[in-house]
Amino acid sequence: MDALLTAIKAVIDNLGATVVLPIIIFLVAWALGAKPGRAFRAGVMIGIAFIGINLVIGLMWTSLTDVGQAMVDNTGVQRDIIDVGWPSAAAIAFGTSVGLWVIPIALGVNILMLLGRMTKTLNVDIWNFWHFAFIGSLVAVVTDSVTYGLIAAAIAAALALFLADWTAPAVQSFYNLPGISIPHLTTAPGVPFAIVTNWIIDRIPGLRDIKADTETIQKRFGTFGDPVILGLVIGLILGILGYYNAGDLQTILVSVLQVGMNLAAVMLLLPRMVQILMEGLIPVSEAARDFMQKRAADREIFIGLDSAILIGHPAAISTALVLVPVAILLSIILPGNRVLLFADLAVIPFVVALFAPLMRGNIFRMVIAGTLTLLVGFYIATGMAPLVTGAAADAGFTIPEGAAQITSIADGFLWPPFLFATLTQLAGVIGLVVVLALLAVAMYFYSRNRKGWEVAAGAPAGDVEAAAAD
Amino acid sequence: MTNGPKRILVACGTAIATSTVVAQAIIEAMKEKGIEVTTRQCKATEVSTLVKEGFDLVVTTTPVPDDLGVPVIQTLAFLTGMGKEEAIEEIAQALQT
Repeated sequence: MDALLTAIKAVIDNLGATVVLPIIIFLVAWALGAKPGRAFRAGVMIGIAFIGINLVIGLMWTSLTDVGQAMVDNTGVQRDIIDVGWPSAAAIAFGTSVGLWVIPIALGVNILMLLGRMTKTLNVDIWNFWHFAFIGSLVAVVTDSVTYGLIAAAIAAALALFLADWTAPAVQSFYNLPGISIPHLTTAPGVPFAIVTNWIIDRIPGLRDIKADTETIQKRFGTFGDPVILGLVIGLILGILGYYNAGDLQTILVSVLQVGMNLAAVMLLLPRMVQILMEGLIPVSEAARDFMQKRAADREIFIGLDSAILIGHPAAISTALVLVPVAILLSIILPGNRVLLFADLAVIPFVVALFAPLMRGNIFRMVIAGTLTLLVGFYIATGMAPLVTGAAADAGFTIPEGAAQITSIADGFLWPPFLFATLTQLAGVIGLVVVLALLAVAMYFYSRNRKGWEVAAGAPAGDVEAAAAD
Repeated sequence: MTNGPKRILVACGTAIATSTVVAQAIIEAMKEKGIEVTTRQCKATEVSTLVKEGFDLVVTTTPVPDDLGVPVIQTLAFLTGMGKEEAIEEIAQALQT
């Protein structure tokens, strides 16, 4: 299997993701039943999106590497791992040798688990298969084996389904989304974290009675919510730190303002490029949805969707607004951290959205759990940065000369990629077996005590409380 | 309202992921019905500011404030595929009144 994959990889490396991914997307969409013309256009759009994302990442990478370097020289603060954001991470993940195959693999895992009654979730959120590809890509870099990477991606897909099933009743009651679950590996992994935090807070007198109100927070922190202004401000601050002694006033001014504008541009352009990628994936996801729904028609199923549908909730928005300055502060003061936060400050609502049901929307608690997640995340990200950078190289992204390493909050800060990468680093294929065993154990205990697990994740304990919690 | 194409504001958590799917689906479905529309995507947090620029309808996949002064349709039909026809009807009706 590896020999074949290596041979394919050689061809793919020659052509590059901008050519290969369109071909694969075309074939996958067509095989799933999309009309050839529509499938073809989907493939081309995805190639275009890749070229666009590559351009913007290049701009961001160069600006941030230069100013980061200047800042290190000036202040001695080493922040040489750039947060390139989830749009970049997603593009990288889809572009690696693992990412090319992730759509059929994750669909296959989902169908098998539905048939085997191991999940209730039908994951139609094809776009977010990139999380599985991300994990698989890191494992492929660690083990130097595409096969192991593909197996890791398959296990990650199963993990997402498990987390989706487990949190489904909480999501459905708190967010009022009947029949929906969230197999999203940026959002769902926060739940165990939140359960522990919640348990601890409940045992601290004083702390456990604090509640924060969402509207004041939205008003006070509102400007942080605008990514363009955020990018500009961060750019200007970094520019001043890096270039305040770069020469005469004119030189300094020009350098500082240029960094500010470049980074503001990245904040606007990167999401636009990803919209193109999404547009290209629509025919694939529609075809996949119909394909899967036909094969699971007679079952009670949850439709697995993107956690983007949760982000409009005031609790998620307010928590994220408070966490943006907290995250920036942490990135500066944490000893040993090398991550320069930037593009993924906008992704924080995704990280905290599933804290809300079990914390009953209490912003104070969500901010504490979010802070802890980020705090641990900085060290996970610092440790995993070489792997993420390696995956970017595998995906054919142009890495500027002498450039910094890269990461992103989603999912470079989170425990699932860390767990996979660390265990395979320690034990190779046995690491994968361990991850699979851990997942199987969790699924077993969940199946023994569904209600208990679901209430712990924030599902209402009884029907009466369901109304009260809302 | 002016006579040009109807303007629809499509909101989701990021203005990137689910809103793209919804916007594309609406454009396609309305074209079939002969209703000319333009869409703009935004984040849920931006809805209350942007809606003042003169939109005829807000379609969202995630909760938004309900005092916007224009009709709001919150639907997941374009994502799940279930109830899509009804959602299209609802949008068409909201645009024609």
